[in-house]
Amino acid sequence: MSALGEFRSLSRSRSKAGSADHREKNRDNKAAAVFLAPWVIGLVGITLGPMIASLYLAFTDYNLLQDPQFTGLDNIRRMFSDERLAQSLKVTFTYVIVSVPLQLAVALGLALLLDRGIRGLPLYRSILYLPSLLGASVAIAVLWRLVFGTEGLVNAFLAIFGIEGPGWVSDPDTALGTIIILHVWTFGAPMVIFLAGLRQIPRELYEAAATDGASRPKQLFSITLPLLSPIIFFNLVLGLIGSFQSFTQAYIVSNGTGGPSDSTLFFSLYLYQEGFTSFRMGYASALAWLLLIIIGAFTALNFWASKYWVFYND
Amino acid sequence: MTLRVRRSTRAGIAAVTVCVALASCGVGADPVQNPELSEDEVTITLNWWGADARTQSTLDVIELFEEEYPNINVEAQYSDWTGYWDRLATTTAAGDMPDVTQFDELYLASYAERGALLDLSSVSNILDPSAVDANVLDSGRVDGTLYAVPTGATTNGILINTTLFEQYGVEVPDTTSWTWDDFEEAATELSEASDGEVHGISPFGQDSFSLNVWARQHGGELFDAEGDLVLDPEVLAAYWQRALDWIDSGAAPSVGEISETMNLPLDQSSLVTGQAAMGFIPAGQFLAYQSAGPDFDYALANWPTDSDTAEGFQYLKPTMYWSAASTTEHPAEAALLIHFLANDTRVAESFGLDRGEPGNPAFREAVEPLLDESGRESLAFTEAMSEEVGDTPPITPNGASNIGSGLLGRYYQQVLFGESSPEEAAEGFLNELGDSITAAG
Amino acid sequence: MTDALTTTRRPEPTPGIPAPNRSLAARGRPARRRIISVLKHTGLIIICLLMLYPLLWMIASSLRPNSDIFTSSGLFIDTFDFDHYPTGWDALAYPFSTYLLNSFLVVLGSVIGNLISCSMAAYAFARLRFRFRGLAFVAMLIAIMLPIHVLIIPQYVFYAQLGWINTYLPLILPKFLATDAFFIFLMVQFIRGIPRELDEAARIDGAGHARIYGQIMLPLMVPALATAAIFTFIWTWNDFFTQLIFVTKPDLYTVPVALRSFIDAQTTSDFGAMFAMSVVSLIPVFLVFLFGQRFLLRGIATTGGK
Repeated sequence: MSALGEFRSLSRSRSKAGSADHREKNRDNKAAAVFLAPWVIGLVGITLGPMIASLYLAFTDYNLLQDPQFTGLDNIRRMFSDERLAQSLKVTFTYVIVSVPLQLAVALGLALLLDRGIRGLPLYRSILYLPSLLGASVAIAVLWRLVFGTEGLVNAFLAIFGIEGPGWVSDPDTALGTIIILHVWTFGAPMVIFLAGLRQIPRELYEAAATDGASRPKQLFSITLPLLSPIIFFNLVLGLIGSFQSFTQAYIVSNGTGGPSDSTLFFSLYLYQEGFTSFRMGYASALAWLLLIIIGAFTALNFWASKYWVFYND
Repeated sequence: MTLRVRRSTRAGIAAVTVCVALASCGVGADPVQNPELSEDEVTITLNWWGADARTQSTLDVIELFEEEYPNINVEAQYSDWTGYWDRLATTTAAGDMPDVTQFDELYLASYAERGALLDLSSVSNILDPSAVDANVLDSGRVDGTLYAVPTGATTNGILINTTLFEQYGVEVPDTTSWTWDDFEEAATELSEASDGEVHGISPFGQDSFSLNVWARQHGGELFDAEGDLVLDPEVLAAYWQRALDWIDSGAAPSVGEISETMNLPLDQSSLVTGQAAMGFIPAGQFLAYQSAGPDFDYALANWPTDSDTAEGFQYLKPTMYWSAASTTEHPAEAALLIHFLANDTRVAESFGLDRGEPGNPAFREAVEPLLDESGRESLAFTEAMSEEVGDTPPITPNGASNIGSGLLGRYYQQVLFGESSPEEAAEGFLNELGDSITAAG
Repeated sequence: MTDALTTTRRPEPTPGIPAPNRSLAARGRPARRRIISVLKHTGLIIICLLMLYPLLWMIASSLRPNSDIFTSSGLFIDTFDFDHYPTGWDALAYPFSTYLLNSFLVVLGSVIGNLISCSMAAYAFARLRFRFRGLAFVAMLIAIMLPIHVLIIPQYVFYAQLGWINTYLPLILPKFLATDAFFIFLMVQFIRGIPRELDEAARIDGAGHARIYGQIMLPLMVPALATAAIFTFIWTWNDFFTQLIFVTKPDLYTVPVALRSFIDAQTTSDFGAMFAMSVVSLIPVFLVFLFGQRFLLRGIATTGGK
């Protein structure tokens, strides 16, 4: 520790010298050019083109098969009177606001539990990750209908207590809730990331805290959570971006319709329907950019708020 | 003309994407009239949707074709239904449409009117579709131009699970001249006899085929020859009201169960799992239902009628089509392949009834000896129905293809869950579909 | 949750980690500890059963006659039918091994690409002070905010112009060009958790960025790299849409596309065979996860920080 402190003060004193600082910045700029080269090539060569194309298409009437016709702000005007758009926003916001915190809480809780060196850890971890392995295959679609159907497993279980459950995925009142549960259930990815993050926390800190007589909850709040905060932040930001774009689960459960009666019409699903089944790719592109603005705003808000609760070591 | 437009689209997007101006390929022109077959090696693509059995039989046919025309190499492309249309839209948008493509009635006008398909009269020196029954062939026309050759056609029918009727001791109704009341009565009786274990009817409400037949029973039609929406809202409301009545009387299962089985693959439908005894199906799928539910004996019947039901309400709906891309570099070879698919009886022997009951009489003859009992039953039904069918209505117009991918089902569900009355839903549906057609027009 | 945390702490399963809190744990009474441990395991086992259920059901379905699949949500098998495996393997135009191999190729390329390019970009974002860093970071995140469905057509046009349709380049090359912002950001967060003293120490020794990246950062971020590798593997293995669009030749089809081609909604399909092959296609991902998670355990706690 002391050696490190020494180095730190050394380097600090070094960077005080103006020319050295300048030289270092220069060196960083050059190194960045090398390290970021693949990313820059990818951004300019692969990512940017289609993005610009879709931005242009957002201002056109484009039916996929004929030339796009520039229509100015027509697509944007159309959004204001689009009831299905309003419905899809409602569905998506409900989904994001409920499922993202819920999934993070479950993932974090289980990661903390598992990190405490429990016997059989690798086995538990593998099994807990299983649902995330299954992906969105046809097989899973069949399973959900059988489990959550009117005569499915869930209702058979409820029947023991004399409760007659609905058709969980086929009733507009419960379909979205069921999808949220399914999403929370695939908490494997954030859990694994949390576990990897927990591994990064130096054990010495706990040792020192234990010597000082800090209790377990105190250690959690004074060591674990602060040091894990960059990872929590990561999972939150990416969880939000992913959930706003959520497509597959609703697609599978509703067979691509967003039904029953639009109760699972996720924004991305609506956009897909507009673009690919109604051949209105211009409008779909406009919707995509609306989504980008919404996600962007939420992400910016997150980054702004992170100043108050995310702690970096550097 | 279309060729030029499409190319410039492609070039336009590419220019933005690659940030390199492409050499303009504005060759453009109407399709070559009567193109000649090439002597050189030519590769064309054949594109279809379907599962493994169809894949196998189609690959066999490709082999036959390649044997016959050694200089033509046919590349296969296939996928499942939804993936198929996503991919076709993407490749077509990029000017990369496969040379020969299997089409569905829902999308034919959407692609044809937007210039994606080859006018088949331009290759009439090679492709002769005249063996296909004229009224079936007509369904391959959009605005009078032949864009696709139908593989076959089928009427709608009522599938009856006779095993269930027997099991619960309910007499299968006499279907030769049954009324809607007979139909509902038998269904209710079955539901009651089984104590709600099974239900008599799996109702209609979400597919355009049954809606069209329903409309024709009431002297109406979904679309007129100009491709305009002409369905009477009252007829549509009555169609959904009928489904509600069946649910109320116990003839049909609960709303939850109906909603649950909507949009399911055939194998999972309540008719196959034995939860419902009677339902509305394209008659051509009879064989598929029978093989999906081997524990049951199925029968096929015409729709019930009332004394005031219009004549000729059944019609022949094309099962699938073969069409060629307007952008194909080998129109002659593409036409030759379609000609082969529509005329060579070995094709029929390989396909069987998998692409519908053939529209070409020679195909029917070739298929018949190879069929099992239910296959022959199915063929006989269509044969008998062909006496009764009325005029072939125009196909789903440009802009209305979403009718089959959820639009009708969405409003039906609103009715089922009591969110709208059948009248409100009919109004809403017709407005939305009408707008969509106008916008595409 | 806190309750569980206040109780036991067993020695870490990984060698080399001291068990700092043993003294603390030992203070609890053994009987109470045991009860809580039993409760904890019981809870975990119940959760695990919920997690295992779909897999067990898939395996059960792959062993049932087709007509039983849609009527049984339970795990009990009335009649065993082992035929689905051999029939499924040969049902499509090519033996299923072809699709497995194709998927392996795509996945392997994607994993290598992501590991190299994302870790490089992450190092730059986390450790280098360069001009436009903030702007670049924002651009990176924005790039993943548009849904694939509006990008796919321009992408297709682009790759078609390059003649890359029906190659795996559109699936693999973007990974080598760090287009997966998810992993860049993930690695950035991990690098920022590594004490700066370590690389500054190396810098004093005269190490350049290449050496710091290669000899200090990479070994220290093994858990992040393992996470990225595992996720890339699983997500690419399961990705349907881009693999469907960019690869149209059946001999190049990957597993997700092949699995869908068992099913046709308008006619009867061999669902049993589809389930059997779904189970087969799960084996590689499960093995990768089982094997790969060993690396999740390695980290600063075991290799550095001293």
